[in-house]
Amino acid sequence: MHPRAFIRTPLDLAMPRDATALLLVSMLALIGYLATLGGLAFVLLGDDLRAWNRSLDDSVTLQIPAETSAARIEMSLALLRQTPGIAELRLLDQAETARLLEPWLGPAAAPDTLPIPRLLDIRTEPGAAIDITDLRQKLAAITPGAQLEDHRPALALHRRAATRLAILIALGIAGVAVFAVVLTVIATNLRLALHRGAVELLHLIGAGDADLAWPVQLAALRQGLVGGAIGAAAGLLTLVVIGHLMPLDASPSAADWRLWGVALAVIAVAGFGAMSAARLAVLRQLARMP
Amino acid sequence: MAVVTLDGIGRNYGAGVAVLSEISLTLEAGEFCFLTGAAGAGKTTLLNIIALAEEASAGRLTLFETDVAAADRMARAALRRRIGIVFQDLRLLDHLSANDNIALPLHVAGMADAEIREHVGEVASWLGIGRRIELRPAALSLAERQCVAIARAIVSRPDLVLADEPTSHMDDESALTLIRALEQLSRFGTTVLIATSNLALADRSQHPRIHLDAGRLTGPENGPA
Repeated sequence: MHPRAFIRTPLDLAMPRDATALLLVSMLALIGYLATLGGLAFVLLGDDLRAWNRSLDDSVTLQIPAETSAARIEMSLALLRQTPGIAELRLLDQAETARLLEPWLGPAAAPDTLPIPRLLDIRTEPGAAIDITDLRQKLAAITPGAQLEDHRPALALHRRAATRLAILIALGIAGVAVFAVVLTVIATNLRLALHRGAVELLHLIGAGDADLAWPVQLAALRQGLVGGAIGAAAGLLTLVVIGHLMPLDASPSAADWRLWGVALAVIAVAGFGAMSAARLAVLRQLARMP
Repeated sequence: MAVVTLDGIGRNYGAGVAVLSEISLTLEAGEFCFLTGAAGAGKTTLLNIIALAEEASAGRLTLFETDVAAADRMARAALRRRIGIVFQDLRLLDHLSANDNIALPLHVAGMADAEIREHVGEVASWLGIGRRIELRPAALSLAERQCVAIARAIVSRPDLVLADEPTSHMDDESALTLIRALEQLSRFGTTVLIATSNLALADRSQHPRIHLDAGRLTGPENGPA
């Protein structure tokens, strides 16, 4: 291919812009938007899962009735300290417990007016195989009414649910990517049909398949990049709006490179995906010519 | 050097309807030849086969001593670049000016813009349409459009020019002028094959004629081998 063909090609001259360009840009923008939302959801879901892991993965809570004596509490602590696999114990003071209950009981909740149970935060060693049922029975024998809450089964359920959701998001992204390829092929075929006379003429006066395919590919690359950029920008904007409407403790910030990474990935995939799909379509069409 | 060699070329459409049968001929470099025959005799099909716009159903085609059947797509494109073709339906691109239509083969060849302007201006002046080349085909007369199509076919100085009824919309004087221009090209070594049903035009010229009748060669009369 002649070097000038990278900038200007015979087909650029022969095939003027048409409605397929706007069609492809708008559809790729919509697909880019959906893919960006999917990608961002993937990132945020991963963050949530990691946060759950950090807070609950090795965590067991012992709830001791409010009327339990200090001696019994101390005996329970001693039992736990001797139990293999327990890494750390922390008895929450009553003010801290009251703060935890505040969302449910309101600011009036006070340890001296309500029988607030004592909470013991127990950190297990990672992967420790503690017989929770046996421990629960031993603690109940020391402190009647004590409840040992193991969060790990609940976390496993959350993990499975989050994994299923992540798979669904990934399948959704793959689905819209396939749709984008199909759409680009259709738009390219439509464009070639609109300019069939020009394509045949250029073929007959000696333009090679690569010469004919290149401008179509370049146009699809431009349209894919523009559509992807519009979709990615709209996706990021949606995240900002949602962040304002539903503020979270750990809302993603503009400094988070992963968000920009998702946006750039969507733009790049839209551009180069459209370019490859257009190449495929145009070469298939040209192969039908002698 | 043999520019075109046809050996037993045949072309069938659909369920075996033969448009061309057993066509064999050779055109040498610089040869000027008319292809005559009534409408439907197979002239356009034969030109299409030589121009690599259509595949033959039988026989062997050799262009510039290259067996076309053995040539890959890139080699075929290279062969096409050595051929200038005037289509019967002209095939001008309506959204381009005459100038840009004429320039297309030069763009395909990757020529620089300055050279393209020079070549296009030269050919357009030679064919008498120099003042009209900024107009689009719709603004030109039929004869002028034919001149644009001819200019596009010869602007890249091809080794072979195939013209299908290139003078059908011209008066006799313009047609003769055009034939003289193509003769001049032929003197520089370009092989010219003109398909025409205008026997009077062919008669006025001293060039050999190949005659097609119902898809079979009945000439040549003083024609090529």
